[in-house]
Amino acid sequence: MASQLSFTGFAWKNLWRRRLRTLLTLVGITMGIGAFVALVGFSRAFEHEWMRMYTSSGIDIAVVQSNILNSSIDESLATKIGAVPNVAEVAPMIFNLMDLTPEVNALVYGWRANSYELDSLTLLSGHRFHDGSPEILLGDLLASNLGKKTGDMLSIQGTNFTVVGIFHGGSALEAGSVIMPLDQMQIVAGMEGKVTAFHVKLRPAPTGESYDEYVRRASAAIEAALPGTRAFPAAERAANNSIVVLAHSVAWGTSAIALLIGILGIANTMAMSVFERTREIGILRALGWKGRHVILLILTEATALGFAGGLLGIGAGWGALRLLSTLPQTASIVSATVSPLHLLESLVIAIASGLLAGAYPAWRGARLSPVEALRYE
Amino acid sequence: MSSPLGAGSPISARGPILEACGLVKSYDEGRVEALRGVDVKIDAGEYVAISGPSGSGKSTLLHLLGGLDTATHGQVFYKGSELGKAVDLDSYRSRQVGFIFQAFYLLPTLRAVENVQVAMLAVNQKANHRAERAAALLEELGLEARMKHFPNQLSAGERQRVAIARALANDPAMLLADEPTGNLDSVNSAHIMEILRGIREQRGMTMIIVTHENDIAHNAPRHIRIRDGRIES
Repeated sequence: MASQLSFTGFAWKNLWRRRLRTLLTLVGITMGIGAFVALVGFSRAFEHEWMRMYTSSGIDIAVVQSNILNSSIDESLATKIGAVPNVAEVAPMIFNLMDLTPEVNALVYGWRANSYELDSLTLLSGHRFHDGSPEILLGDLLASNLGKKTGDMLSIQGTNFTVVGIFHGGSALEAGSVIMPLDQMQIVAGMEGKVTAFHVKLRPAPTGESYDEYVRRASAAIEAALPGTRAFPAAERAANNSIVVLAHSVAWGTSAIALLIGILGIANTMAMSVFERTREIGILRALGWKGRHVILLILTEATALGFAGGLLGIGAGWGALRLLSTLPQTASIVSATVSPLHLLESLVIAIASGLLAGAYPAWRGARLSPVEALRYE
Repeated sequence: MSSPLGAGSPISARGPILEACGLVKSYDEGRVEALRGVDVKIDAGEYVAISGPSGSGKSTLLHLLGGLDTATHGQVFYKGSELGKAVDLDSYRSRQVGFIFQAFYLLPTLRAVENVQVAMLAVNQKANHRAERAAALLEELGLEARMKHFPNQLSAGERQRVAIARALANDPAMLLADEPTGNLDSVNSAHIMEILRGIREQRGMTMIIVTHENDIAHNAPRHIRIRDGRIES
């Protein structure tokens, strides 16, 4: 039986004839998709961990300053928030990303010793801290990375703290974090009398009202009672807090640049390929290939590059995430979990990149006059 | 099974299959005129040789008759329908015309059998039919042992035989050959012309050959001489 030539087989032969160029192009798109999988995957996992933290702590609403240029809010407003109907508990808090050692940074929280948020943590050793004391609780992942145990000392921003307990939390963010008394955090962060946000726990929703509607109604009541503040449902706050927003921005920005480089790589390869194959395209046109056949051939080649680069990029990005999730510097804020939807999205972007990059060379190839192309030297 | 070379039904009713009226082809914004008003009528099943000096316009005429190019002025009619208007040029080239070129124009990345199949990709033939027909054509042309060879592994004569198989792949009504023996030695040249003669006799198909070789031109039942873009005789 003679070998059969299929359309895709023909496209593959065209790509394989310039192996080195094809492989280099693949490296470009692999890096772009790898960056997208790793960075955007990281930022989404980061947001997901925030949501898990809110959920496990029982937080319903986060109250912050409405002025985006001012990230702090007076601690004294806690009393007014507590007076709003349906508010069960109010926990003023500060959070910040801090360098603990030259190699390790972590989220540091300032909570009151009686905060309801502490109730969701499982103490593996030691006890809770006391307000007014230089004491801290360490998440188990961070304690392991730092090699600290209960009773050890840890210097944060020039102040020595005693590790009074090791805990396990409901999210990777907590497992890799430090929690200290709010008043101590205010000193360390230079925010005396101020907090980053209030975490509000509501009374149970009345029968007949959905949770989302109940939270929205309570948020509106808080904003009405405290002009100049914004009250976000926890899910919304998980997505829009400054660290998550920064992570999303950096991830998308960096990925976009990497993807653009990958797309330009494919476009360059396909443009060169069409240029080099001018006479061959002329032959195909002489044999009766329609312009759309030429477009289909070139787009098949470009899409194959995008698809292969996408698969390799997913592998590379996932590998990078797994590596980051094991490094002490990043383990506390990176999860190796990547959602299937994100992988599918990455593959779709890779294929779309191929189509986009191949569009112009394909159009150019289809427009070649058969006789002019045959004369091409 | 009938021979692939003679797969088409012989054309019984003779009549004009191609008609060119007032063909003008100019380049460089009219400063160069390759054809200056050519009228020609070719009957179905006719064997026509077109000869003339270099630059006389014979290849340009073949390209216009084959739908590879369009005229600056004038029309070409296939069975009474105007090319480029009533007849789509791509479909015309893929289904009605088989081209043979002096430089063979085989695709270097494809094996001989794949080079024949590539013509059939344009007309949505089934994959197994494409492969079987390509193999049968190559076998008829004595290339059964060379099917899996790439063009650079074939002799010039073998390459031209692969090109002939490719030209016949879609069972066209006409074969248009532009200096088919121009890159061949005398032995291979004679062999290729023998093959073309056999194909024409088997199928009774229309054949137009552009040549500068007197032997080939004089052996054709009809010989058109062209000079300076005009038909001399």
